[in-house]
Amino acid sequence: MSWRAQSVAIVLACFGGLTVPALAAGALGEPVASVSADERSLSAVRRTTTTRGLYTIERLESAASTVREFVAPSGVVFAVAWDGVSRPDLSVLLGSYAAPYRRALAHGGATSRRRPRRVESGGVVVETWGHMRSQHGRAYVPALVPPGVDLDELE
Amino acid sequence: MSSSRLALLWALSWALGCGDGSSSPAPFQVVGGDNVLPLSVNGVHCSSRSFLNKPCVSVTVCEPGTANCQTVDDVILDTGSYGLRLFKQALTVTLPNVPSSDGGNVAECVQFADGTAFWGPVATADVVLAHEPAVRVPIQVVDSTFGAVPPSCTGPETGPTSENGILGVGVFAEDCGPACAADPRNGTYFSSNGSTTSGAAAPVSSQVQNPVALLPVDNNGIVVALPGLAAGTAPSLEGAVVLGIGTRANNRPGPAKTLALDGSGDFTTTISGGPALPGSFVDTGSNGLFFSPPTPIPACADQPDWFCPPALVSLSATNTPSHGLPGASTQVSFQIANFDALVVQPNDGNAVFSQVGGALTFKAGFDWGLPFFLGRTVYLGLEGRRSTLGAGPFVAY
Repeated sequence: MSWRAQSVAIVLACFGGLTVPALAAGALGEPVASVSADERSLSAVRRTTTTRGLYTIERLESAASTVREFVAPSGVVFAVAWDGVSRPDLSVLLGSYAAPYRRALAHGGATSRRRPRRVESGGVVVETWGHMRSQHGRAYVPALVPPGVDLDELE
Repeated sequence: MSSSRLALLWALSWALGCGDGSSSPAPFQVVGGDNVLPLSVNGVHCSSRSFLNKPCVSVTVCEPGTANCQTVDDVILDTGSYGLRLFKQALTVTLPNVPSSDGGNVAECVQFADGTAFWGPVATADVVLAHEPAVRVPIQVVDSTFGAVPPSCTGPETGPTSENGILGVGVFAEDCGPACAADPRNGTYFSSNGSTTSGAAAPVSSQVQNPVALLPVDNNGIVVALPGLAAGTAPSLEGAVVLGIGTRANNRPGPAKTLALDGSGDFTTTISGGPALPGSFVDTGSNGLFFSPPTPIPACADQPDWFCPPALVSLSATNTPSHGLPGASTQVSFQIANFDALVVQPNDGNAVFSQVGGALTFKAGFDWGLPFFLGRTVYLGLEGRRSTLGAGPFVAY
């Protein structure tokens, strides 16, 4: 079953009268269709899908952030990007890459800590920037980015 | 405390040139008063020079309704956040935690641009800024050992290794706003009940508040006044934050152009030859100029966070309000020097630099950090408040 069919099912559930429907988030590096088992979610309230050339973008909106997931033709999430009042739960969104990211953060240098940062570790690149009430960022797995995709598109 | 302030008649006057062609910064004379909060860049109010371009103030906090107070120095003056946050280890006073509706305590995870976070309870304090009357305000006590840190709170800082806290005096009155009042799963506010932490909605009035917004008179914004650097570097600088805009004789605006800010506190920057960057902001808490240059500037080999061009790069940019909001365009000229040659190799004790910057690979905004403020008088108007410079939120310079 494709992730597309799954997203239709979720949309139907939303209109079925559930309160604050919680949509499972696709995790970086994982197939979109496999993440419904994810226990935590981004508390998203709307989900739209668009196709852009080589990949599709799933857009999840919640009260505090908007997340865009970039899905390769293989069905694997190769990048995620976010904007919002607060940062989405990266422990969910980064999937198996959350642990190396957390370790890399802990080894940050003695610089100002209120500045944008690019962390590359364990096969993932995580970029965060912005300020309070306007948090932005993206994460991607260079090895999973389909050939021909310009990184500038991933935002 | 206030008896000494008249003696401190502080007439720092800086006629600002700053090499900025078309937008002439406003000459502004800081005259002492109850509303003048001294601001150091790696100077007397910084107890540690933990990073370059570090802006510090001292803040007095008191147990509510008592004279049991302490003055905390080494607090970062941050126009990119809202509200006071102090590390628990820096506090000698005991502040009461704010209870949550389910019988626990309100706790908060505040995430910063670099991916780190502050975790800890919201507590009530009487806060004294400069020699203003004390204001009773929810603040955050930063404490990574408090309750159970939720997994979403990545990178919680454990102690005051870099600063004792942060004073957020940007353009909003509270740190999250309506988004955190509407949804318990806002990612910022939680209820902490022993070993259990769960997301919680926080009414706007009980969120951590920018204490400036609660001042009796000087509550419509701030003026950040820092001198310029003749040689582009200095060991330290002393300047001031003047509380209020046009509320007293000493904060009457000089000539300045106002940029209305959008609901996120942002405007649009266009670097000459580059695209419009609608998520741009001024931020004393960022210690450089961070942007994506239209023509690539090499990063330093050893510190890729910083630019290391072979020769000084001169650029100009236009700032305009986002989304058709009112305000004039202003031109800003700036320069980027080789970080290794300017900062690393001299190792001469300088800790303030006007020409340092680094790459933002995400092409959506320009982070005008502390170098932007050097040699400029910058007015920040609070959301929903008015002054002679217009309705907030705005930035004017």
